Amino acid sequence: MRRVARILGFARSTRYALALVFAFLAVAFAASAQEAVDLSGTRTSPLQHWRGKVLVLVFVRTDCPISNRYAPLIQQLSAKYAARAAFLLVFPDKAESPGAIRAYLRDFGYTIPALRDTDHALVKKAGARVTPEAAVFNAKRDLVYRGRIDDLYPALGKSRHAASTHELADAIDAAVRGVAPPRASAEAAGCVIADLQ
Amino acid sequence: MIRRVRIALALLACALAAGLLRAERGWPGASREPNAAAQRVTFNRDVAPILFRFCAACHRPGESAPFSLLTYADAKSHARQIAAVTQARIMPPWLPAPGEFKFADELRLTEEQIRVFRRWVEDGEAEGAASDLPPRPRFLPGWQLGKPDLILKAPKPYLLPASDTDQYWNFIFRTPLKETRWLNAIEIRPGDQRLVHHANVLVDRLESSRAQETTPGAGFGGMEIKIESEAFDPDSHFLFWKPGSVPRKEPEGMALRLDAGTDLVLNVHLQPSGKPEWIQPSIGLYFTDQPATKFPMLLQLENDAKLDIPPGAHDFVVTDDFTLPEDVELLAIYPHAHYLGRDLQAFATFPDGEKKSLLHIPNWDLNWQAVYRYAQPVHLPAGTAVSMHYTYDNSEENPLNPNSPPKRVVAGNRASDEMAHLWLQVLPDAPVTAASDPRRVLQEALARHKIENNPGDFEAHYNLAAVLQQRGEVAEAARHYELALRIRPESAIANNAYGGALMAAGHPESAVKYLAAALRARPDYFDACYNLGLALAMENDFAGAEGYFRRAVQLAPEDANAEANLGSALAALGKNDEARLHLQRALALNPGLSFARENLDQLPPPDKKR
Repeated sequence: MRRVARILGFARSTRYALALVFAFLAVAFAASAQEAVDLSGTRTSPLQHWRGKVLVLVFVRTDCPISNRYAPLIQQLSAKYAARAAFLLVFPDKAESPGAIRAYLRDFGYTIPALRDTDHALVKKAGARVTPEAAVFNAKRDLVYRGRIDDLYPALGKSRHAASTHELADAIDAAVRGVAPPRASAEAAGCVIADLQ
Repeated sequence: MIRRVRIALALLACALAAGLLRAERGWPGASREPNAAAQRVTFNRDVAPILFRFCAACHRPGESAPFSLLTYADAKSHARQIAAVTQARIMPPWLPAPGEFKFADELRLTEEQIRVFRRWVEDGEAEGAASDLPPRPRFLPGWQLGKPDLILKAPKPYLLPASDTDQYWNFIFRTPLKETRWLNAIEIRPGDQRLVHHANVLVDRLESSRAQETTPGAGFGGMEIKIESEAFDPDSHFLFWKPGSVPRKEPEGMALRLDAGTDLVLNVHLQPSGKPEWIQPSIGLYFTDQPATKFPMLLQLENDAKLDIPPGAHDFVVTDDFTLPEDVELLAIYPHAHYLGRDLQAFATFPDGEKKSLLHIPNWDLNWQAVYRYAQPVHLPAGTAVSMHYTYDNSEENPLNPNSPPKRVVAGNRASDEMAHLWLQVLPDAPVTAASDPRRVLQEALARHKIENNPGDFEAHYNLAAVLQQRGEVAEAARHYELALRIRPESAIANNAYGGALMAAGHPESAVKYLAAALRARPDYFDACYNLGLALAMENDFAGAEGYFRRAVQLAPEDANAEANLGSALAALGKNDEARLHLQRALALNPGLSFARENLDQLPPPDKKR
């Protein structure tokens, strides 16, 4: 989790390096500081925003039914923690256009902001492997939780009648109180992000 | 004529077992294995044939799967996923392990086919030469068996909530038939394939489910439902839908009877999608002129009474063994457990001691339940024991355990309860004749077996009594109705049937109390109302009888017998004009009612002076 902060610092300090090296590192800088693209096409770095708040990234995909089923819960959690935590939907599939994502947000009643992570920079920072998967960064931007939202889909191809554990809610709850979540990670089951390169 | 009601053997009714839509076999390249070292696995040559044959039925636009797998781009954007789910045998969904007997439409990949997906990822997910690509599978749009003779739409749609647990909803389709018809296929269109995990049609010949609707036509919730049916009418067909399935016509001679006034109840398992969705299924009926000549029946093995699973138990076993009293052909099998069921086995022990597996599901998953039809009927001679052997896992390690931490679980209808059921569709070898019906022998043996397993089994006592009564063993029938009543003293159908049995045994005076109890339990119960009128009439209490027959006529205005009996009671009371009216109406409904004719003829001619 410290890695994120260190890379950003390193990138900034190399602005004065030799031209050749600089060109190389500039790419790294762009990828790490301006990781994602918002739906209007502007590059942005979500980890720099909402300072002082907990940041929750939820990796989703429009054609992943497991992602979709969580839409109401994610929306509810974002409302519940609105004062202390910012929520962002992250779409790692570069084939999903801003227009398609907007339509999807409307369809599922999402009001939280959405980003496209076409280079998978946020995927790498969070260590996300599937959709849906959540990452919780505390106010200092340490990654304090990465994994499933709850245990409704406990393993690949398995779905329970109802969730019995609520890892994401527990993690946010701990993070807004400034303590470590009960679990730092929990394996998520869903659609493989690595297929989206 | 005494009316009886029998409880169906629960869950399933008629059905034309669904087969899986399969594209044709034998494309070039379908069986060619990539030469391990020399050839890279490509989409066009190696991957597409498998996808087209096993996956495309669901993974195409408008079908149940969330994404299509028809093109190179489709497959590439899910390549690792495909490799993982096929390796874990999660996809294609097919639960049975390869066994003694083959099933029709097996959807099981070979190890070699699974390796193709894995190697495709390892080799870099190449597309390959365009000339290697087999033609895309063709699928019929719309109704799979052509335009149905009758299409029924659920009267009202159901609003599936955006989130929450899985939902079970039952739609009641009212059939508009005026006379008995024979069906050789039913096609189920569950409304929205993406949301429906499976669906079952049940035949409700007595409109017995309607009482559960809060608004007529709205349907009702519930995972497992029971349907009442007439005296002897074993539910005989599986009518099951799951993603990717297409309807099939019933085999020759095995048409399904559909009477006027029959309801078809569609039990649907739904998973919320993340947004509110309206579901309004349709069913298509295909008629035939050929009445049934072969009569399969459903045998249910079960041992719910033994389901008392302590928290933490890894290997809780429930078994049931039933010895067949008749030679039968086993056509299909349908296992049923909820979320704790893990290893489900069925086997046959033949009279010579040989044991053969009928079904083995090593990793049960309620979400992918299905009816399995044997590719060839399995001959089971009389004396064969069929056995159910289910293992339940109520430990923390069971990822589907509804309780965390685990709790004691017993049998019940909710998803968090358990079940231990095994349904066998069998066709008795002996023909059904006027004199003998092998299904009754099976029914009686099964009911006795269930009572032995669980003396508190209401339905077993009730069903056994019905068989005995049919055979004329009135006293023994009455005894079992009485035992059923001890288990459920308030039961309307058991009170009615017991009263009916007492009347048949010549004790109408004793019957009155039970028939009245049946009517208290269900005030609009026509059969009980009719029978109570009849019992009073048999006791010469025509004034008492008149009121119940009047009510019976109100409840069923088309019933000739009720009209005739009302007319006869009125005649006995000297209310001749009104008696004439009802006797004439009875004869208009059924001109063959000879006693109504006789009673009418005995009435004095109408008084013309007035």
